[in-house]
Amino acid sequence: MRVGLAIFDLARAAGAASIFVVGIGKNVGKTVTTRAVYEAAHASGLRVGITSVGRDGEAVDAGDAQPKPRLFLRPGTTIATAREALPRSPAAEILDLSSLQTAAGPLVYARVRHGAFYELVGPPTASGMREAVAALRSRADVTIVDGAIDRVAALAGGESAIVVAGGASAAGTMQEAVDAMRALVERLTVARYDPRDDAVRIDGALTPARAAGLIGAHESRQIVVRDPTQIALAGKAASHAFARLRIRCERPLHVIAATVASIGRERTFEPRAFARAVADATGLPTFDVYAGERAA
Amino acid sequence: MKTESLLDAASAQALAFAWLANAVRPVSEYGERVFADLRPFKPGEEAAASARAQRIAGVAATFDSARLDAVRDALRGAPDAVGAIARASMGDVLADANFLELQRFCDAIARVDSLGAGVPGIEPVANDAVRAAGRALEPGRSGKFGFYLADAFDGRLAAERAELARAQAEFDAARGRAYAKVGRQLGRDDFGEEFIVMRADLRGSVPVGVRVLREAPTYLLCALEFDSATLAALERRDAAADAAAVAEEAVRAALCAVVRRYAAQLDAAAVALGELDVLAAAAAFTRKHRCSVADVVGEPALAFEGGRFLPLEIELGAEGRAFAPIDVELHDTAVLTGPNMGGKSVCLRTCGLIAVCAAFGLPVPADRARTSLFEEIAWLGIGSDEDQLGGLLSSFAKEVVRLREVLERDAARLFVMVDEFARTTTPLEGKALVVALLERLRERAACGLVATHLAGVAREAGARHFAVRGLRGIPRRPPAGGLQAALAALAASMDYTIAEVGDDAAAGTDALALAALLGLDAGLVGAAYRHLGAEAPPPGGQE
Repeated sequence: MRVGLAIFDLARAAGAASIFVVGIGKNVGKTVTTRAVYEAAHASGLRVGITSVGRDGEAVDAGDAQPKPRLFLRPGTTIATAREALPRSPAAEILDLSSLQTAAGPLVYARVRHGAFYELVGPPTASGMREAVAALRSRADVTIVDGAIDRVAALAGGESAIVVAGGASAAGTMQEAVDAMRALVERLTVARYDPRDDAVRIDGALTPARAAGLIGAHESRQIVVRDPTQIALAGKAASHAFARLRIRCERPLHVIAATVASIGRERTFEPRAFARAVADATGLPTFDVYAGERAA
Repeated sequence: MKTESLLDAASAQALAFAWLANAVRPVSEYGERVFADLRPFKPGEEAAASARAQRIAGVAATFDSARLDAVRDALRGAPDAVGAIARASMGDVLADANFLELQRFCDAIARVDSLGAGVPGIEPVANDAVRAAGRALEPGRSGKFGFYLADAFDGRLAAERAELARAQAEFDAARGRAYAKVGRQLGRDDFGEEFIVMRADLRGSVPVGVRVLREAPTYLLCALEFDSATLAALERRDAAADAAAVAEEAVRAALCAVVRRYAAQLDAAAVALGELDVLAAAAAFTRKHRCSVADVVGEPALAFEGGRFLPLEIELGAEGRAFAPIDVELHDTAVLTGPNMGGKSVCLRTCGLIAVCAAFGLPVPADRARTSLFEEIAWLGIGSDEDQLGGLLSSFAKEVVRLREVLERDAARLFVMVDEFARTTTPLEGKALVVALLERLRERAACGLVATHLAGVAREAGARHFAVRGLRGIPRRPPAGGLQAALAALAASMDYTIAEVGDDAAAGTDALALAALLGLDAGLVGAAYRHLGAEAPPPGGQE
């Protein structure tokens, strides 16, 4: 099967104009997932816009100099990236200059004229990314963002779909990776609060200390955060809090799929077992981007 | 805007210089550079100051708001191309984003020249260099706002790109065949540079063209290995890409040669664009705040009719209240008295703001004005940031230190605003100091106003005496509405007119009326009236 096309179809079925790919850590197949979805979107004939929160598509990892998956972008694709990250050749069409700053200098909007490998370096802030995504949306039918979770929540609204990527590089054992995926998805899929029901609004983050206080007080009202990324809980604390508290949010996110990368630099997991475990833990359609199949 | 010796920090703060600087701030980087170097005119430069104000007022009067806004929009949207010009002039080969900056620079100049055509005081910014650069970049214009190193720049570029496209297609086809062949053998159609093959799905051995990177009990991590035909196609593609890159760099180098040839003139156009931005900002300020051109004279003077302290006018306007414009006529240092809340400090600030505007060659916020250029405009007393002097000094000591600094600077032409100097020491000594200060300022032919509550200062110093007329009657304290309502009632009863009075007028009881209006305990206020030997108004006050 074509994993990218399957995910893209899920996004389209959800009516999403933007697709955000977020991961549980580094080297978990985020770029491979982004590339697969991009290829499917481009093949569908739609005008595609693409950017990254941070840096994506570089040839080697800046941290350990290991090779990284690259992004080959096709003619007609609109990108938001740092000026300095644009290849000199083949020349791209410079659409607009932005005052937004990235880690590699000011941002530009460009259109690919000849297929080539591109490095995407987008604005690191939520407000900057919001502006960049809005600019891409004005020029593209579908926008793909290789994202960071904390920035995504500020951007992803009702027209956005989120794909969560997890892999062997981000955990010591398969069970840890599965738990991390479950916790992240549980966090990102917190339901919208019911305005007719009593609620306690949390200003800022719901921290373990605040959650413990609410549990200790036997709080039965809805605990409402602005968006799921304001839930600063992980691991057992998260599981405990979700079991004991009615945690809700004002701006829910729409998570459509999970992807797994069972091969890591230091360890590998059994691919089908890992994909199945993630699917069971998250309840999401789960795809192995390296094996090219969906979890049974 | 550099204040240089015109204002020290405390005076700048008291006169809201930061507000003024922001109000006349240009919108582009070009303007910012010019604006940063703007300095006040000095005594002797009256003609230049006057000419600048006339030019600004002329532009403000001739440009309608829509055209002025359009000029500023064009400037706001113009990216800064000065760095690109500098780099090209040093021999750098610019990137395509730089060419877009240059193209927009040329476009912005064309736009503002078009909007400013025929407007007195506006000179065209475009020169031969701008036109030459614009022509050179024109083939790269893409859509409304973009730039692309198009084939139209050079026939060789078009040929190399065509060859690259052909080589890319050849490689894509060869790679596609390789993927399809392996895909058929593996029974799947979705794999990338690295992919997993499950041992359970493997029919026979690993296909030819697949390299195993890692083996595990249940799967193999693999990569596609191109055959010699595909690798040859890849080599041809890479060679074609290199040739296209060389052709693109040649076009960039040719464009940079044009920029380098005209760099000095392009820089001059950038400066002219900045000056236009600064001029447009000042014209917008003039139009927005209904400013007029002051008559700039050589002898010490500051006189105006209908003067306004703009920050307060804006603040009052936001509350639905109006600023009462004031008239002042000074040619030396005079005394200003009046009731609390009567506008003495605002009068001083209005004088200062008008003098500062004139010093920078700006039209001033008054119906009519006549002023000299001052070497220093100094504020002493309430409202200056005395904390700059630290916490070890008393209020009085800080005032004295500030006064000493102003006098030691010994500006040849000084405008001074003194707001209740020595108010925190004994009235006897305070008055003596104020009188002595007035005498010194008059000896130095300084111009200014000394606001005080101390009686008899003008007479003893032999100075002219101006006074705020004050309350027309004792305002009734509003039954509701709190402080804002009380202030509105006070403003309605206050006559802010400033008039020269022949001699020191007898002290009134406006302060006690004000205390009652602001809600001070009626018994306490009544007792104060009795101490003055006066009768308190009826409870609740009267109109």
